Amino acid sequence: MTLVLRLLLIAGSLFTLVFVIRRIRAAKLQIEDSIFWLAFSVVLLIISVFPRLVYWGASLLGIQSPTNMVFLIVIFILTVRVFSLTMRVSVLDEKLKRLAQSEALDGHKKQERGK
Amino acid sequence: MKLLIIIPAYNEGASIVATVENLKAVCPGYDFIIVNDGSSDDTSALCSAQGYPTLELPINIGLAGAFQTGMRYAFQKGYDYALQFDADGQHLPQYIEPMFEKAQEGANIVIGSRFIKVKKPKNLRIIGSYLISWTIKLTTGAAICDPTSGMRLYDREMIAEFASNINYGPEPDTISYLIKNGTCVSEVQVEMGERKAGKSYFDLGGSMWYMVKMLLSILIIQFFRLRVKSGEGRK
Repeated sequence: MTLVLRLLLIAGSLFTLVFVIRRIRAAKLQIEDSIFWLAFSVVLLIISVFPRLVYWGASLLGIQSPTNMVFLIVIFILTVRVFSLTMRVSVLDEKLKRLAQSEALDGHKKQERGK
Repeated sequence: MKLLIIIPAYNEGASIVATVENLKAVCPGYDFIIVNDGSSDDTSALCSAQGYPTLELPINIGLAGAFQTGMRYAFQKGYDYALQFDADGQHLPQYIEPMFEKAQEGANIVIGSRFIKVKKPKNLRIIGSYLISWTIKLTTGAAICDPTSGMRLYDREMIAEFASNINYGPEPDTISYLIKNGTCVSEVQVEMGERKAGKSYFDLGGSMWYMVKMLLSILIIQFFRLRVKSGEGRK
């Protein structure tokens, strides 16, 4: 892991932290949703401050370049996140449909009552 | 001074009628409203058969959202105080009166607390409560004996704030945030019953996630929040 990569990771994680906190301040982000990003930026920080962890993981998995190990970790975390978001969108989709349907049914009920 | 009792209900068909009848018998003078959080059981049918005032949510939006619905109703109808009351029979209506009196003595929030005069038991279920009490003490300096009690009474100013803002779930992290912002929170000793029926919102995984969320929120996130004063947030 080069020094430049480490600095980049530190910058990235600090940027994430600041951005997430600003969204909370602006009341545009639910606290539940902020926790993942706070944890993610902490993981990036740990990786960049303690690169030995990455070297150890890379040799364990037989990955030649420790940098690739960093990519693997990040890709893995983000893939899991995308999957969980997909599940959430799916549920939201269904709820939105039911909500719109209830609205239509209620409107019709009112119309009939008005006749 | 008008008080509204908000009863969020999610699949509480087995206990809702008994809870409300008990409430009506003990506290006939107070208005109440049930917020049916998109229950899939017979909660809705039972409430309309009994003629209870009910807000029907067409989908399940979770406790925080359901409670906020009740707060918006209280705000629109001009209530001075609102109390969160469980549908499962855990909260006992005879303690509403003392909480209401305490609020009128000058408190923004009154918590129905199990552990003021009674010592907190030391068992696994209560560890979370200790941790949350301790973090609130650490970050605000305030001693809240029973931060996870769901029986809380809010005044008009709080109703306006809870009704209009994001991140105002009826949970300990919101309490700690409000204390830090100068809100007066008091506690009144209450007893609680065992839940009569139905399932808790929490299983083991859910409890762990709840604790992580609460502790991180109280210890870290609440530091960075800005107070949006009542009525200034989105409607």
